[in-house]
Amino acid sequence: MQKNTSTLLQTYLQYQGSPFSDPGFSAPELQLSSLPPAAVSFKTWHALDDGERLGHAQGAFLALTQHLQLVGDDQRDLNPGSPILLAQLGAARLRAQGLLGNMAAIMTALGLPIHPEEDTLGVVAFGASAFERKCRGYVVTREYGHWTDRAVRDLALLKAKYPG
Amino acid sequence: MALFSAFQTTFLLALLSLKTYQSEVLSEPLSLAPESLEVSIDSARQCLHLQWSVHNLAYHQELKMVFQIEISRIKTSNVIWVENYSTTVKRNQVLRWSWESKLPLECAKHSVRMRGAVDDAQVPELRFWSNWTSWEEVDVQSSLGHDPLFVFPKDKLVEEGSNVTICYVSRSHQNNISCYLEGVRMHGEQLDPNVCVFHLKNVPFVRETGTNIYCKADQGDLIKGIVLFVSIFEEPKDFSCETRDLKTLNCTWAPGSDAGLLTQLSQSYTLFESFSGKKTLCKHKSWCNWQVSPDSQEMYNFTLTAENYLRKRSVHLLFNLTHRVHPMAPFNVFVKNVSATNATMTWKVHSIGNYSTLLCQIELYGEGKVIQKQNVSVKVNGKHLMKKLEPSTEYAAQVRCANANHFWKWSEWTRRNFTTAEAAPSEAPDVWRNMKSVQGHCVVTLFWKPLSKLQANGKILFYNVVLENLDRPSTLKLLSIPAPANGTELTLDQCSYQIHVTANNSVGTSPASVIAVSGDPGNKEVEEERVKGTEDGFCLSWKPQPGGVTGYVVEWCERPGDPLCDLQWKNLGPNTTSTVVSSDAFRPGVRYNFRIYGISTERIPYLLEKKTGYSQELVPSDNPQVLMSNLTSYSFTLSWKDYAAESQPGFVQGYSLYLKSKAARCLPGSEKAVLSDDSICCKYKIDNPKQKTFVVENLQPASFYEFFLTPYTSVGEGPQGAFTKVTTPDEYSHILIRIILPMIFSILLIMILCYLKSQWMKEKCYPDIPDPYKSSVLSLIKSKENPRLTIMNVKDCIPDAIEVINKQEGTRKSLTETEPTKPTYLYLLPTEKSHSGPGPCICFENFTYNQAASDSVSCGHVPVTPKAQPSQLGLLTSSENGPKALGKNYVNSLGEIPAGETNLNYVSQLASPMCGDKSSLPTNPPEPALCSEYKTQMAIPMGLASPPSITLLDEGEHDH
Repeated sequence: MQKNTSTLLQTYLQYQGSPFSDPGFSAPELQLSSLPPAAVSFKTWHALDDGERLGHAQGAFLALTQHLQLVGDDQRDLNPGSPILLAQLGAARLRAQGLLGNMAAIMTALGLPIHPEEDTLGVVAFGASAFERKCRGYVVTREYGHWTDRAVRDLALLKAKYPG
Repeated sequence: MALFSAFQTTFLLALLSLKTYQSEVLSEPLSLAPESLEVSIDSARQCLHLQWSVHNLAYHQELKMVFQIEISRIKTSNVIWVENYSTTVKRNQVLRWSWESKLPLECAKHSVRMRGAVDDAQVPELRFWSNWTSWEEVDVQSSLGHDPLFVFPKDKLVEEGSNVTICYVSRSHQNNISCYLEGVRMHGEQLDPNVCVFHLKNVPFVRETGTNIYCKADQGDLIKGIVLFVSIFEEPKDFSCETRDLKTLNCTWAPGSDAGLLTQLSQSYTLFESFSGKKTLCKHKSWCNWQVSPDSQEMYNFTLTAENYLRKRSVHLLFNLTHRVHPMAPFNVFVKNVSATNATMTWKVHSIGNYSTLLCQIELYGEGKVIQKQNVSVKVNGKHLMKKLEPSTEYAAQVRCANANHFWKWSEWTRRNFTTAEAAPSEAPDVWRNMKSVQGHCVVTLFWKPLSKLQANGKILFYNVVLENLDRPSTLKLLSIPAPANGTELTLDQCSYQIHVTANNSVGTSPASVIAVSGDPGNKEVEEERVKGTEDGFCLSWKPQPGGVTGYVVEWCERPGDPLCDLQWKNLGPNTTSTVVSSDAFRPGVRYNFRIYGISTERIPYLLEKKTGYSQELVPSDNPQVLMSNLTSYSFTLSWKDYAAESQPGFVQGYSLYLKSKAARCLPGSEKAVLSDDSICCKYKIDNPKQKTFVVENLQPASFYEFFLTPYTSVGEGPQGAFTKVTTPDEYSHILIRIILPMIFSILLIMILCYLKSQWMKEKCYPDIPDPYKSSVLSLIKSKENPRLTIMNVKDCIPDAIEVINKQEGTRKSLTETEPTKPTYLYLLPTEKSHSGPGPCICFENFTYNQAASDSVSCGHVPVTPKAQPSQLGLLTSSENGPKALGKNYVNSLGEIPAGETNLNYVSQLASPMCGDKSSLPTNPPEPALCSEYKTQMAIPMGLASPPSITLLDEGEHDH
């Protein structure tokens, strides 16, 4: 899944034109207010308890599934002739949903409260220009990768705590 | 300054209101000023929409007015646009005007004002400008939000090659902003400290999904951009119009390329005709229908306009309607009056005007190919006669038409199929015969080939066979054979016949094919020649027959092994002496036999030559069963007389015999050969295919050989088979047999003779040993009343001890000497007894032992005198009783056995050699019991033997 997220980001950028498709393109400060950033200092992350850690990830993936849907719709408009990209976006959304389901199951098993499913996008999403939508897609696919990496570490830590 | 300006404005307004007041009061002409000016923005189209009205008009008054509009940018003094807009104005009518800005409206503040003037000839006195309206300010920037950077215009759609103006609005003064078009930095002009403008000229088409233009701050990730959608919009191509019925024009075109537009922005097409001034919006992207006006308009000038979001593209077409007629397909097409060779086609066409003529094209198809093509001019009804048709043949005729005067396009074809009528068969059937004689009758099998379609001229229903007896010319016999048959069998007498065969269809009879048969089948013995086939067939040639030949026939069977044979024949002209027979049925490895007949002038075939061959020879399919005979030490004979060389898939040219032996060198007549399994053996080549025996010679006796025989054709040898093992016999074995057998026979003969003469032999060689029990002596003893006298059983003797008597040289003395000597023979009796006193001594004597032994058994330990010798030893000595029979001797001696004497003296036969030693002779009379002498097989009482019955040899005699 981690490999897929990196592939998705590369594919996404490749289809958006310059500057996105330029080699080494990166705009880490580009963020979306509707999507929590995955970047967190190690100390902060380590200081979180299991419930908080899982709660953050679950909330992020909840937002990611909706954002990936939005990006898929955007790209269907902007890149209608790119079935590969559209397929990868669709697959990423399904993976995010799958991971979300697994995390919800873990949290239920640990007796942790689960974020309610809510509309994280709201009404702000629709008025964006084409360039904004391209940027938005970039942030979403990038954060999807970061959150996946973080979730892997979360779950690995959890597994270490609850072996078997 | 501002204060002065405000004062000036106030002053002017005061002046204006004063003037208005004056005009109203003084009834001066009114100035019609635009009022209620409102300005709205269409950001997407970069348009300012103005709307206003003129209030001071009288009711129902319409005036032509001109409005002067000024647009300034950034500040009001910077007027960038002045336009006079003329229109007709009613009272309180809302007037609208739009202006498209090159610069995105977000990039700068715009201000608009206007004034009006009456531009109407009716009221020339009002031709002066009204006052300006106040500046209406349009400031989009203030509503943009708080983002640090904006780029405009958003998502603009432009045509390729057009000019576009782009700006960014920055809210941060610290950062330098750089802008890029697809990664290439752009250089712009600073409109104000926060706004920079970029003028892009002749924008290129990069990709359908748009061209990215973005600006970013030198520090940080601040990046903003727009996507410029550049479209390529071409004019329609191949624009063309035509009519089929002079009522409707159908115009078609190929849409030009329309790249770069997103799917929702589609093109529209409009058709405009300039002579009539009519216009229609086309519903389809590539064609449109136009109703032809009934006023017989001939010329049409069409303009096709394609329009998309951005612009229009047009193409023009000018034509005369009658030159663009694409006629409808002909109708009411019929093929009539169809005979065997002719048919008539009729059709109708749709009129294309009162005086126009159509050119129609007729095509006749036979077996899928065009065989006739004809053009006909037609007004309304068309007619065409098709000639030179084949009888009973399927045809297809089709017709199409075009305007004869101004050719534009052919109509579609209209097609009809028909079949011509039958005619009598044109050719005689190709007939051949096969003859055989059965029980004195001539059985003729007739074969004929079905007529080709061209020859048959219809469906052959039956064949007529007429038999004409040549010996009795008046006799005719008719046979009718139903059609699918391709032959018949006739049983004729030996008379000569001429046979006529005709094929018949529903219309008539074919010419007759004549073949004659005579009493002589003509199958004379002809030597068979071999012929070599090739891929193309068999090339057969024959000697020309001098005169009187009307033709030749080559006959063969396509399936030689099959009883049905599938007889084939080929008719050839009288001047032909060779032909190539080819057939798809020829298979490799099958022998085909060809017979070449000459046809006499009387139509009688007679056999000329026979040929046989293979289309392709193969290696033999099987090997012979080889029998071995005459095996000798040096040779053996092989024979394979049952081998059917004729049934091989090639001409057997000979045989190869492989012989394996341990000998390294091959025998004369053979050569070394390497087999497929890399083993080496000797190969004999038998070149004569008729040779079915072979003698393998010069072999080694008692050697092991293996042989394998296989035939070969021109292609190669038969399959590899198993070797037969043979071992040559030893050279001397037969000689031994010649000797041993007679020897065995002789021995057998001798044995038989011996058996037959066994009694005699027995008597001569091994007479019976007399049984004492059966002896007559017993009866004599009984008669002398000596009941105690009995015969001692050997079993009763208990051997006990062996006494060795020392032989002492130099102590040889006469028996008569009384010097006691120790006996040196074996004591077989218990010693106590032997020493207890003079015991009985039994002396056995067996006559079956040779005399020498008997001589040596001179048990001389019993003191005897020669005179007292009663025994058979007397035979050796000149005893008085010599001439007397043995029995008598026994009787005498036994008769003197005293009763009551039970002690026996015994001398074992084993001891006899010792006893025979003269030195061992016992000379001690007091110890006679120590001596046991086997003399006879009976015990002799010592009492009787007191003069011992054993006769000892004289010393000198013994020494002899």
